[in-house]
Amino acid sequence: MKNLTPEILLKAKRLGFSDKQIAHILNTTEQRVRSFRRKHIIYPVFKTVDTCAAEFEASTPYHYSTYEKFNEIESSDKPKVIILGGGPNRIGQGIEFDYCCVRCVKALREEGFETIMVNCNPETVSTDYDTTDKLYFEPLTAEDVLNILKYEKNVKGVIVSFGGQTPLKISKELEKNGLKILGTSSANIDVAEDRKKFGKLLDNLGIPKPEYGTVKSLKSALKIARRIGYPVLVRPSYVLGGRAMQIVYNDETLKEFFIEASQYSEKHPVLIDKFLEEAREIDVDAVCDGKDVYIGGIMQHIEEAGIHSGDSTSILPPVSLTSGNLRRIKSYTKKIALGLKVIGLINIQFAIKDNVVYVIEANPRASRTVPFVSKTTGIPLATIAAKVIAGKKLKIFKLKEFDKLTYIGIKESVFPFQKFPRAKMFLGPEMRSTGEVMGVAKTFGAAMAKAQESTGNPLPVTGNVFISLNNNDKKQKALEIISKFEKLGFGIVATRGTSKWLLENNIFNEPVYKVNEGRPNVVDLIKNKEINFVINTPLGEESRFDEYAIGWAAVQYKIPFITTLSAASSAVEGIARIKSGDLSVRSLQEYYKMY
Amino acid sequence: MPRRSDIKTILLIGSGPIVIGQACEFDYSGTQAVKALKEEGYKVILVNSNPATIMTDPELADATYIEPITPYFIEKIIQKEQPDAILPTMGGQTALNTAIALNESGVLNKYGIELIGAKVDSIRKAESRELFNNSMNKIGLETAKGQFVNTYKEAQDFIDQIGFPVIIRPSFTLGGTGGGIAYNYEEFENFVNRGLTTSPVNQVLIEESLIGWKEFELEVMRDSNDNFVVICSIENFDPMGVHTGDSITVAPAQTLSDKQYQKLRDAAKKVISEIGVETGGSNIQFAVNPVTGRIIVIEMNPRVSRSSALASKATGFPIAKIAAKLAVGYTLDEIPNDITKTTPSCFEPVIDYVVVKIPRWDFNKFRSPNPESDVLGVQMKSVGEVMSFGRNFKEAFQKAIRSLEIGRSGLGADGKDLYTTGQLLNIKGKDKDELIDKIITKLQTPRNDNIFYLRYALLLGVSIEQLYTSTQIDPWFLNQIREIVEMEKELTEYML
Repeated sequence: MKNLTPEILLKAKRLGFSDKQIAHILNTTEQRVRSFRRKHIIYPVFKTVDTCAAEFEASTPYHYSTYEKFNEIESSDKPKVIILGGGPNRIGQGIEFDYCCVRCVKALREEGFETIMVNCNPETVSTDYDTTDKLYFEPLTAEDVLNILKYEKNVKGVIVSFGGQTPLKISKELEKNGLKILGTSSANIDVAEDRKKFGKLLDNLGIPKPEYGTVKSLKSALKIARRIGYPVLVRPSYVLGGRAMQIVYNDETLKEFFIEASQYSEKHPVLIDKFLEEAREIDVDAVCDGKDVYIGGIMQHIEEAGIHSGDSTSILPPVSLTSGNLRRIKSYTKKIALGLKVIGLINIQFAIKDNVVYVIEANPRASRTVPFVSKTTGIPLATIAAKVIAGKKLKIFKLKEFDKLTYIGIKESVFPFQKFPRAKMFLGPEMRSTGEVMGVAKTFGAAMAKAQESTGNPLPVTGNVFISLNNNDKKQKALEIISKFEKLGFGIVATRGTSKWLLENNIFNEPVYKVNEGRPNVVDLIKNKEINFVINTPLGEESRFDEYAIGWAAVQYKIPFITTLSAASSAVEGIARIKSGDLSVRSLQEYYKMY
Repeated sequence: MPRRSDIKTILLIGSGPIVIGQACEFDYSGTQAVKALKEEGYKVILVNSNPATIMTDPELADATYIEPITPYFIEKIIQKEQPDAILPTMGGQTALNTAIALNESGVLNKYGIELIGAKVDSIRKAESRELFNNSMNKIGLETAKGQFVNTYKEAQDFIDQIGFPVIIRPSFTLGGTGGGIAYNYEEFENFVNRGLTTSPVNQVLIEESLIGWKEFELEVMRDSNDNFVVICSIENFDPMGVHTGDSITVAPAQTLSDKQYQKLRDAAKKVISEIGVETGGSNIQFAVNPVTGRIIVIEMNPRVSRSSALASKATGFPIAKIAAKLAVGYTLDEIPNDITKTTPSCFEPVIDYVVVKIPRWDFNKFRSPNPESDVLGVQMKSVGEVMSFGRNFKEAFQKAIRSLEIGRSGLGADGKDLYTTGQLLNIKGKDKDELIDKIITKLQTPRNDNIFYLRYALLLGVSIEQLYTSTQIDPWFLNQIREIVEMEKELTEYML
């Protein structure tokens, strides 16, 4: 073995090797590789993207790093803030965070800071050299971000709370290396993310939360699950987009989960929560300046708790919350934001079951719903949060309250199932939508109809509705929804079990075979375009051949496919609106004048 | 020509929700276009159903509609706002399709609205395979042999003429949804039938397969004075057969001789002139046979695209912004280059670095019983992408891998490998042969993690020739990866 030389290290750096890789190959730590680099002054230089290979003077500061000689960066004396972007789009982290970063940059520029954007996603607005004072097109790793500090003077700190999970993942390492994290302190972010600490905070504040536990082994998982009782929600800690999250109904499935989860999470333990079945789910986005809290919006989900909030349909303002619960949600939000000493944005998820408001989780950072809330209310939450981080107080903004809205915004998710033949199509705690649309209108039904139209799967106005309900769903609510379809002139087609139940309740319908029962079956009808709308509520966790087959046929033939009663109820209201011809258009600027 | 003064109000159509094949690149282009048009003093009306976009920020356009992007709703907006023109080239296929529908239903005529950025005829010529093929034949360029069919019977007749393998592409679907490559009758029947269903017009294109050919793209712009510039050349690391959106791409093109590049450039100029894009940007894709050098024009998008966003970021040349200005009457020589401020936009960008784009997939979200569901093919499956810069391919490539956030810190050697370096270097005899076989078999089918298997293969001592035979990835790229692997091997001799 030879001792590492600066020459050989530089040679590796020129081939793009990261400190982490080099550390792994040399069987040492990243920190030691970095110290070696520091000692031997091996740093990258930054070059300018100038369209002309440096033939002409370039005035746009758009840079990338490389291990060469001549550095092209000049740093002014102005106070600077680094904003870390969201990295590549993926499920769970999309354009919403680009929106938040861009608003943040704009706000900080207005506050007199020089803004430095770091991001590596070429599709974004945040990587438009026009957006920021300086753009570094670099990977979002601690090593690459720290390299920038070598050349930038008077950096006041870094903002990690607008770019989703990506910047948060490296925030501790950045802080350890002397970069100040602006906004909510990392100690408080940790309180929010650590089950125990957060649970304690809620206890102190007197706020209910579902029973939970944190485990590192299957054995203790089984113990806790039995103590708090099935069903439970299990997931690895530190995840975004509900990755590998699952609702578990028994020991057997819990064992399977552990085998699978181990590949996602090495260091982080697994979280177990009591799952509140059929609870109503609520999302809140707020801004806090350490003293005051502004609630930007309270959104009610159409789907029950258990379906990832990124996949569910959100309504702003909420349409069916009691005033008591609304008050409670507001009060809890304020207490939690102040308790976590939040400076900037916070998103809190609540669930209401048996008239008790539980806190599911709190994230002191920009959430995926910030743009939706801002577009609906006209209040730019990300901008206000960025200014609060820069030192402004909430009071000076004189913000309108979302409760006064005289119209409704609905956010609906868009799924890529068509690209993944036979993948599971029922929604669950793992997020799978790629994007979202919004419908805005004066009535709930019209907003719903528009949102559906925008997803590319418009609600039908005539034809047949296919219905297959699990036994839990065979209740009064279902009858009300189905008779509404009937009154709107739809024919009702149902699987034999559902059909019989409907007949017993005086709803005339035509029975049809399930796929494995005979032919012609429901899939035949879908393929013959005799079905225009599918309501199929799945049976617990049991995934069945029939459900795949129906779901896949519906996706292929672009027939709206609904898996919960609540969504069916919204859809029928939307259809009623379309039929009454009440779908007018209005610009956001007009809406904002209406409240 | 100075800016047009006969137009006062312009309606810009966005691209709607983020879906696979149409992501936030259109927020980037649309936002630039709105800013550019406002800068020129036009009143801008915007419609997009996606609230997460920056372009729908109410401060940006004069009137912002978050409404469905369908002819029905857009006609309502037109009634209300009375725009003079529609700019449909910034919102991907969604905007283009909607604009065409509005034209066909007579709405544009009824309200006296002009399409700017691309004319209806040009859009049709570029989008319809038949018209496109005819246009290319007219200017002496080759397209892949192919035929449109509406029934399986027609498809069968055609396959009997040209033989396997063939590519099946459903008409008018996004990102090639529903398409595939068929090597036998069974697959053929499957893909054709699925394609016929997914296509809104129940039509599929059966096309001669160019699998294994090299794929290139040119991002070009043209103005009303017939000025023409190439903004950027892009080379696909993966050979033909993998959707460009699912392919690792490199800018500028690395493996073309200057002579070959000039050929493509000339061809691109002919294509854009013949299709008739006079005021904007286009993306033109070529396949080049690695042995004979035969060039085939694959397709042309008469609008800004995912690749133009990439080309803009790779070069610093703001394609969407310039395209918006061309659409309102300017010519390339009249628009200053933002970055240099001194040169006009008719100067072709020159770059002295390498840019690598790698797609990001999320297959684990869509676990499917179908073992082929994560195979990369003509249907795009990635959900995002990263890009990185370097002074050589190797540097940019490794930076891009660590940008992906898939837990990797570069091309392997980061503790996340399936086989350790020591294992691969020391394995011997039959075990080694078996492992090589396994890895080579894996590499024969394009999948998202194949780059890591290229490294394994090279560490095992597999030759570039053999890798080329199995993957059809150009030996130049394979050699670059070998250099990374050699560096890693060299490093193992050191300690710190």
